Amino acid sequence: SAPAGAASGASNSQSRNAILVSRRQQGNPVLKFIRNVRWTFDDIVPDYVLGQSSCALYLSIRYHLLHPDYLYFRIRELQKNFRLRVVLCYVDEDVIKPLHEVTKTALLHDCSLLCAWSLEECARYLETIKMYENKPADNIQERTDQDYLSRLTSALTSVRHINKTDVVTLGSTFGSMASVMSASMEDLARCPGIGERKVKRLYDAFHEPFRRTSKQLRLSSVGIKPIQEAPK
Amino acid sequence: MSQLVIEMILKLGEFTAAERAEMYSKGGAFLVTSRILVVDMLNERVPFHKVAGIIVNNSHRMTETCAEAFIVRLYRSKNKAGYVRGISDQARGLTSGFMKMERVMKSLLVKKLNLWPRFHLSIATALEESPPDVVDIRVPLTPSMLAIQNAILEVMDACLKELRKTNKVDVEDLTVENGLFKSFDEIVRMQLDPIWHTIGRKTKRLVADLKTLRKLAEYLIRYDAVTFLKYLDTVRASEGVKSVWVFAGPAHRIFELAKRRVYQIVRTDGEQVESVVKQASRAGVELEVVAEEMPKWKVYKEILEEIQQEIQSRPADLPEDSWKSEARVLVACKDERTAWQLQRFILKGPEELMREEWNNYLLAKAELHGMTLRDKKKSRSKPQAQPQRKGKRKKRPDNTEQQVSEEPVIPLQNTGATDMSLEDVGASSLVPPVQYYALESDQYRILDTTGPSYVIVYDPDMKFVREMEVFKAKHPQRRLKVYFLFYEESTEGKKFEASIQRETTAFETLIRQKASMIIPVDQVSIQIIGYAFVYSWVGVLQTLDVPSPQAPNSVSSRKAGGRKNMEKHMQIVVDMREFSSSLPCVLHQQGMRILPVTLEVGDYVLSPEICVERKSIADLYASFSSGRLYHQAETMTRYYRLPVLLIEFSQDKSFSLQSANEVGDDIVPANIVSKMSLLVLHFPRLRIVWSRSLHATAELFATLKSNQDEPDAERAMRVGVPTEDGLIEGDVRAENYNTTAVEMLRRLPGVTDANYRTIMDGCKSLAELSIMPFEQLAELMGGQRPARMLRDFLDAKFPTL
Repeated sequence: SAPAGAASGASNSQSRNAILVSRRQQGNPVLKFIRNVRWTFDDIVPDYVLGQSSCALYLSIRYHLLHPDYLYFRIRELQKNFRLRVVLCYVDEDVIKPLHEVTKTALLHDCSLLCAWSLEECARYLETIKMYENKPADNIQERTDQDYLSRLTSALTSVRHINKTDVVTLGSTFGSMASVMSASMEDLARCPGIGERKVKRLYDAFHEPFRRTSKQLRLSSVGIKPIQEAPK
Repeated sequence: MSQLVIEMILKLGEFTAAERAEMYSKGGAFLVTSRILVVDMLNERVPFHKVAGIIVNNSHRMTETCAEAFIVRLYRSKNKAGYVRGISDQARGLTSGFMKMERVMKSLLVKKLNLWPRFHLSIATALEESPPDVVDIRVPLTPSMLAIQNAILEVMDACLKELRKTNKVDVEDLTVENGLFKSFDEIVRMQLDPIWHTIGRKTKRLVADLKTLRKLAEYLIRYDAVTFLKYLDTVRASEGVKSVWVFAGPAHRIFELAKRRVYQIVRTDGEQVESVVKQASRAGVELEVVAEEMPKWKVYKEILEEIQQEIQSRPADLPEDSWKSEARVLVACKDERTAWQLQRFILKGPEELMREEWNNYLLAKAELHGMTLRDKKKSRSKPQAQPQRKGKRKKRPDNTEQQVSEEPVIPLQNTGATDMSLEDVGASSLVPPVQYYALESDQYRILDTTGPSYVIVYDPDMKFVREMEVFKAKHPQRRLKVYFLFYEESTEGKKFEASIQRETTAFETLIRQKASMIIPVDQVSIQIIGYAFVYSWVGVLQTLDVPSPQAPNSVSSRKAGGRKNMEKHMQIVVDMREFSSSLPCVLHQQGMRILPVTLEVGDYVLSPEICVERKSIADLYASFSSGRLYHQAETMTRYYRLPVLLIEFSQDKSFSLQSANEVGDDIVPANIVSKMSLLVLHFPRLRIVWSRSLHATAELFATLKSNQDEPDAERAMRVGVPTEDGLIEGDVRAENYNTTAVEMLRRLPGVTDANYRTIMDGCKSLAELSIMPFEQLAELMGGQRPARMLRDFLDAKFPTL
């Protein structure tokens, strides 16, 4: 079989900015929905070439049901010519077994499986991967340029059940993060909307040590008691 | 009961695994959270044959795959003689959903159901033999409160109408009446969950708004005028822009009236000014503090005085000493906060109390600073109509001779205000000492420990009513007088009545279900004698004589037992934190061995090569936006040959991330497709697995594991953990960390993956961190810059609203 279509197909500058589509895909309704990026037919091994080193194979669950071995042979054809090998699966049937087979085949043969539930979504994956070819990962990385309130929210909401309103309440009551952290249980309880449980959770988060230690001390203080003796 | 449970749970949770194992073997009764118990059982720290039985609390929450069901199954597989009991006091919880009762019983592996409703003949007679003396007091709301309440209900109605228009929910349940209950969220979510990812932003917003409104309606009668306004302000600040309801017509009325209950801006000539005036035009305008009191306060005070008089004129047939010791007053109110406020009200009087609240409020309101205060005494609105009393009520005893009380009394401070709302301050300035009980704290058997003769129910609560009934029935010779305080025409009364009605209906349903319930013997494959109780209150069960179970003689082995042995016993290393989900349980059901450890990288390790990070759909979105997923993908890719991101859908929700029309015309960075694309582009080695449901995941795991070596728990645990500091070794577990605190620490500015461990070494807790000087921080964090960032953030002044 022919080596990677990417290099040979990209000979003219025009096709470098376009998705290359294998002639096998002729008649695939997904093509109608590729609108944000240009695409051209080309003689390539994968179904779609989405960049210098990315390609995609297209498969629908229904097709897989008819031709269970198809995917495996297509993946084998790809050889090792692409860094990113996407299997784009159009989930047109909500059945579990064929999807499992597709998943397993993709996973064991070094392909990233992307599932889409509409032709529009399939097309959008193709477009986006092409468009984002050289895009940094900022969008999915932790952002550092946050404003004060979002940072405060992000920190305090790590305590379960604390919501944004509670964050504003805590902030406006105590004035700063440091004072929130050193607030007494009573002070926390006096904030509107902060119930008993939230108070306890907050207080524990602030005052319980990061690492739980000194086992002996705890053992002797609690001991093992039968139920009826425990409550005061 | 739950008080005790909480205490013990917290304490047991603090022990290390080895300590717990020792405790288990010593014997006794243990209250353990299911998460810890599952892990201990799987690690075989629990001596199964010694465990006499398991009692599952709150069993209405059970599902087939929950941790408790897992525990029961593990226990049953090793010990066939012990008993299993499920207890619940939530009849309603057992009737919601399809075949809920049967499913709960199935997951508990029990066959017998006992119901103890309030209307059960024996219970009714026992309780009504000597009922407590009840005084029912209806307090009218102030006109402004009533207006706010109506406005809230109106906005709610408008929101509900909008929600109906979306055509996504069943209209029948969507009434304002239902909207007042917490369970309303459930009703809506149950309908919307299957399509949650396909519904529009506006619908989601409406659901959230309804929740906010429900809270507002509740807080209106719970919080004083100033606190309520403060809460409104925070709500507006925190979700104002996004919510729909804020822009509804009546919403304006809520804000305006709430403000006017507290303060008004008045021209010096007395005319009212509508909105807040800017700095420039402050001349000729002043601030009038109204600070409306809560109507219940006055009534509360009166009741206390009445009780005091009654105590002083003790019944003739009782000796003084025993009467004195018995005449205790318990005040039941919603939460600690209310208790604290009532206490201050008695100590300081309403004027002073409201002044304090107001000053407090001012701290956070910059725009009102510096405005001249108007002398308010003359312009105060007069107290409202006298509350009318319903129900049987004794005449106030005439004997008012003053006795010198030996009990410590709280003197009333006369603040000097002319219009103190107590007309009879002079007549009896003494109130009896009272004990406050916050209903939310759910203290264990509060009535038994305090033994009151008078109970003032400041915030009506059904559960507490039940407790009182039982208490009285247990001590028929005791005097018990109960005052109920209701706001007339308020949501509070409606809610109380409806909650009783709901419980009765739930029990009736359960009784019907029980009659026609089919327990498939072959599904419960082990012969079990067990019970599930549903009881409508706490006291009765304690006196119940539960027949002790006999060891069943016919013990059939689990059906699947034989078949599974054919295959090699598959092993999966599971992160401790995953035990709050149901997957470990399902995996175990599939016959896999679960090795619970703390993993630094990934959630599940299937083989030395395969490591899985599991994300539910909600998690997926959340971890994309927090950047956590990127980080997790990065570490997994670093340490494993086959790093897997598992995207797990929920069985009862739709199997898709978005609908076709949500895809839109353009490539939008915020869309999930864009994020997934970026993820695969940056991590071409990351394998993505899409699972339809929990059970599908379990099957997938089994498939993926075939032809792979078994994972090594010891090794999996060490992956990604820096070893150079020598601290992280095999014995350190998640349970030894205050995980919430660690999580919060890591989210603070300046704190990074590189320095958070050293911070934890040099500083005990967040509270300690908050007062740590800059130099010390710099030393711990390895540099001036991160320390500066952290210190600045901690000390930054919260912007005034």
